[in-house]
Amino acid sequence: MTDVAILYDSSRCSACKGCQSACKCWNGLPSPLEKNAVSCTGSYQSPPELNGDTRLLIRFDEAAGGSKGVEWAFNRRSCMHCVNPGCVAVCPSGALHVDAETGFVAVSAEKCVGCKYCASACPFGVPQHYGPEKTINKCTGCLDRVEQGRAPACVKTCQPGALKFGDREEMLAIAHERVALLKAKGYDKAVVYGENELDGLHVIMVEKYGLDAAGLPENPQINQVVDILGLMKPLTGIGAAAIVAGLGLSFLTGIGYKRDTLHYDEAAHDVVDMDTGEIVRHIDVESEE
Amino acid sequence: MTNHWCDLQNADVFLTCGSNNVENHPISSKWVQKALDKGATWIVVDPRYTRSAACADIYSPIRAGTDIAFYGGMFNYIIQNNLMQTEYVVNYTNASYLIDPDFNFDVDTGLFSGWDEAKKSYTTTTWGYQTAEVVEPNTATGGPFAWTTAEGVPEFTPPANKVPKKDPTLEDPQCVFQVFKKHYERYDIDTVCAICGMDKETLELVYKTYCATGAPDKSGSIMYALGQTQHHYGAQNTRALSLVQLLLGNVGLAGGGVNALRGEPNVQGATDMAMLVFDFPGYMKWPTVQKYPDLRTWMEVETASDGYYTNKPKFFISALKEWFGENATVENDFGYDWLPKIGSDADLSIISTFDHMDTGRVKGYWLWGQNPASSAPNTKFAREAMSKLEWMVCVDCVETETASFWKAPDLDPATIDTEVYLLPAALIFEKPGTVVNSGRWLQWRYQVVEPYDQAKSDLDICDLLWKEIVGLYQAEGGANPEPILNMKWDYYIDGKIDARAIAQALNGYTVEDKNLLTTFGDLKADGSTSCALWIYAGYYANNDAPLDPAQQRVGARGTEDKGNLGLYQDWAYAWPLNRRIVYNRASADAEGKPWNEERMLVKWTGEKWESNDVPDFVASTKASDGTVTPVPPNNKAFFMNWEQNARLMISSMDMPTPEHYEPFESPTQNVLNGRQNSPCIRFTEHKSVQQGSKEEYPIAVTTYSVVEHWQTGSQTRSCPVLVEAMPSQFVEISEELAQEKGIENGDEVRVFNNRGSVVLNAFVTCRLKPLMVNGETVHQAGMVHHWGWAGEISTGDMVNDLAPNVGDPNCFIPEYKAFLIDIEKI
Repeated sequence: MTDVAILYDSSRCSACKGCQSACKCWNGLPSPLEKNAVSCTGSYQSPPELNGDTRLLIRFDEAAGGSKGVEWAFNRRSCMHCVNPGCVAVCPSGALHVDAETGFVAVSAEKCVGCKYCASACPFGVPQHYGPEKTINKCTGCLDRVEQGRAPACVKTCQPGALKFGDREEMLAIAHERVALLKAKGYDKAVVYGENELDGLHVIMVEKYGLDAAGLPENPQINQVVDILGLMKPLTGIGAAAIVAGLGLSFLTGIGYKRDTLHYDEAAHDVVDMDTGEIVRHIDVESEE
Repeated sequence: MTNHWCDLQNADVFLTCGSNNVENHPISSKWVQKALDKGATWIVVDPRYTRSAACADIYSPIRAGTDIAFYGGMFNYIIQNNLMQTEYVVNYTNASYLIDPDFNFDVDTGLFSGWDEAKKSYTTTTWGYQTAEVVEPNTATGGPFAWTTAEGVPEFTPPANKVPKKDPTLEDPQCVFQVFKKHYERYDIDTVCAICGMDKETLELVYKTYCATGAPDKSGSIMYALGQTQHHYGAQNTRALSLVQLLLGNVGLAGGGVNALRGEPNVQGATDMAMLVFDFPGYMKWPTVQKYPDLRTWMEVETASDGYYTNKPKFFISALKEWFGENATVENDFGYDWLPKIGSDADLSIISTFDHMDTGRVKGYWLWGQNPASSAPNTKFAREAMSKLEWMVCVDCVETETASFWKAPDLDPATIDTEVYLLPAALIFEKPGTVVNSGRWLQWRYQVVEPYDQAKSDLDICDLLWKEIVGLYQAEGGANPEPILNMKWDYYIDGKIDARAIAQALNGYTVEDKNLLTTFGDLKADGSTSCALWIYAGYYANNDAPLDPAQQRVGARGTEDKGNLGLYQDWAYAWPLNRRIVYNRASADAEGKPWNEERMLVKWTGEKWESNDVPDFVASTKASDGTVTPVPPNNKAFFMNWEQNARLMISSMDMPTPEHYEPFESPTQNVLNGRQNSPCIRFTEHKSVQQGSKEEYPIAVTTYSVVEHWQTGSQTRSCPVLVEAMPSQFVEISEELAQEKGIENGDEVRVFNNRGSVVLNAFVTCRLKPLMVNGETVHQAGMVHHWGWAGEISTGDMVNDLAPNVGDPNCFIPEYKAFLIDIEKI
């Protein structure tokens, strides 16, 4: 199989959340059962963000403007399945890996040690962690379906054809054709996303109102902490869980095990916890090398 | 829909007005997108910027309840700018017919001629045509009424045909076109903008874009739903959009049509089965005491003087045969007298029902898959009325607000004596049977799983009920035993009640040899055929496999698409007679040449008709010896009307042509005529209505559904994933109104009027804007209405407490879509 991709065309999307619901149903992801447990978000977007039980979310962004008076941008927020995924690069346990057949970023949740490095590495803030062990939960591309010759659940359920699944090159061609049409219709900000970003993504997007409205970074970069963490891969790759549990002295624990958001300050060579501002580790670059 | 879902792909321009089609009918998005890919343009006109508006090319806001002004302005625009499909209008509508010289509309009083103040209704004689000649009914062999003389047909006098006077030049000042044209001269663009709160440039763009479909080869499709119908002039709103389609020549064409988007699972089927109180199944009239005291009168009133409904008694008598079986004979008028007759004084509509409970006239209430404690207008009054009932039976799959009305937060259960029974009903996949989609496609739904626990299918519940009642009558006797004891109820296969037996009854068959019929053309008025629902004839007609739906047309799954128009002639069965696009004769000109060859539905070759769809006209005649003779083209494109033409003006409704009136509760005065509300509005005088004024409640509001939930939410609020996707109900308000009221996005607010008060979350959005209406700023808000106190996962206040219980005189639909409120931060 050649590389595949999911195409999301926001200009066809009616934001019905069929994909969001189908994702939950197919993957057995629960929703709250307590009475009136989900609170109002002040928006059609609900839940407000991806979470441990939500791998796909339809995003709503509204602003005055455009020929119709309002630009109401819908976007599909989920794993972008990068060609060179930072999350896989930092994953010490092999819980995340690139599926050789499809190029999708596959998940072996049972291998996850809950370090959350993937969440730090991902430029889109996609990986979520759930359960008592805080293990990884993110879109798998429905590899269990794809292996059986079916489209991912989200694609299968999409009525207006905003979601398509197939050969990546073919999806890109459709996306470019669509953007040309949208521009001809006066949607000047329309853009294809995922062709070259981060060396390419396996989710190709047509963003009718541009990247800002879609909440997408124009030039996404893998968090530089990846490079640092990558240095330790030989150490951790052997069996991260054993190392974490057994040695207790490893780099992993040293920089703050289970931190949600890490940032590498290039100038100072510090790894910073973005939540607290705390420097969790200073890297002595020369000695590490 | 005159057309169907797949046909949306053929449109050149869409107008979504009074509907939010991608949200409430998501499948429409698939076919609309296909049309857009081919270059179609999509217009959405709606009080708020909806998810459909987000997908469309052009959007215009409109003040809720002003659709007739909007469409009336479009009539005027079409006529003034010569955009009418004139050949279509002259040939296929009554534009050329001369109407009574005494017809009049008085702008000062806002009344048409014939108003009777005492009766609060019109005498419509002046709305009729001038007669050129009277043609006596032809009962000779070959004539339309030859069948009436056959043995076994009840005696009656067929009507004479009053052939109207016509002026095909459309110049006579009394012709419908001229009267119509004059009527809408008041609806100029500035006036329409002022009434509807629209921007002139945008309105002109909407008119220009949509009216371009007046070109003969172009098709425009109007999609509408409850936003159009739930007004006290809802039926006239629908007529108005139909008239646009006629003026532009869009009815009967692929990609055109008058497309009422019916909801899943089966609203179309429910309507076919006579959901309305004065209907008999198959769009016939239910007997009433005054108008139809006996069968002969029914036949004489209801039989058309010309056109296909000259056959109507055949359908009615065949239905009576199915109701009463062998007990129905010509001697006893086929059991006509056993049908319960409604008195004309008895308004048994959804609005009046609760008045009857309140006054003690109605003591018991049987509800089948309905939740009026949530869905009725002015639900506070509805539930208070319910508390006076002696008993109530709810058949539903969950405990609805109605089944638990006595648990309403404002009622005291200790003071309510109503005995409530909840019968657990099977869900859709727990029972087999016929379903009908919005495009009139009949399909078989197979049972997937057994009903949960003690739940039973509706049919099982009906059967148990029938057996019990009949048993009691047989054992103990009772009032009016004949209708019960003479009823035919034999829908059993292998001793069990069975939907396949029902299907055979709906389809129709010959009484003598039980031969399933392939067409309602074979129905007879002499009792030799039996058919519960004539329009379904042919859908279940394979005599070789009567027990296998898969081998019936209802189970057809052929994917061939003759003509490449998405007609899919061999997939399912579209009533009537597998016709995919009704009125398809109008897709070709008077000589039978298609307006657009690429969208050919029917075509006269010079010798015969070719077709991709089943012709909706007399394309050929069949002699008694079986010889088929093609009928050359004529102008009878609407042969279900006695005129066999479509009606730009009409004499059988509450208005001869749609006139703008304001909603019952309106933020402004009617500037188009001297009357604020339609004179025929129903139920305004009732004490529970408590009309609010714009001084007390200055904010106009409309109500709607969201895609995440379904109707009163009984099912969808039980689905955690849907509750998570849309957890609570909300009121959408503009940033400007929010600022005035000190409301932030997400705040809890109280929304209230004289009828009720509810607490909702506010969504402050730029998708709603204050409107400039008749020179004043009007704030318009929108509320969703899926919540109530029942349910285990998500509950909320009852938004329909606020909706006025007033409605339309034609079909009694309440005015949910436009009323007044005020709003305050809590």
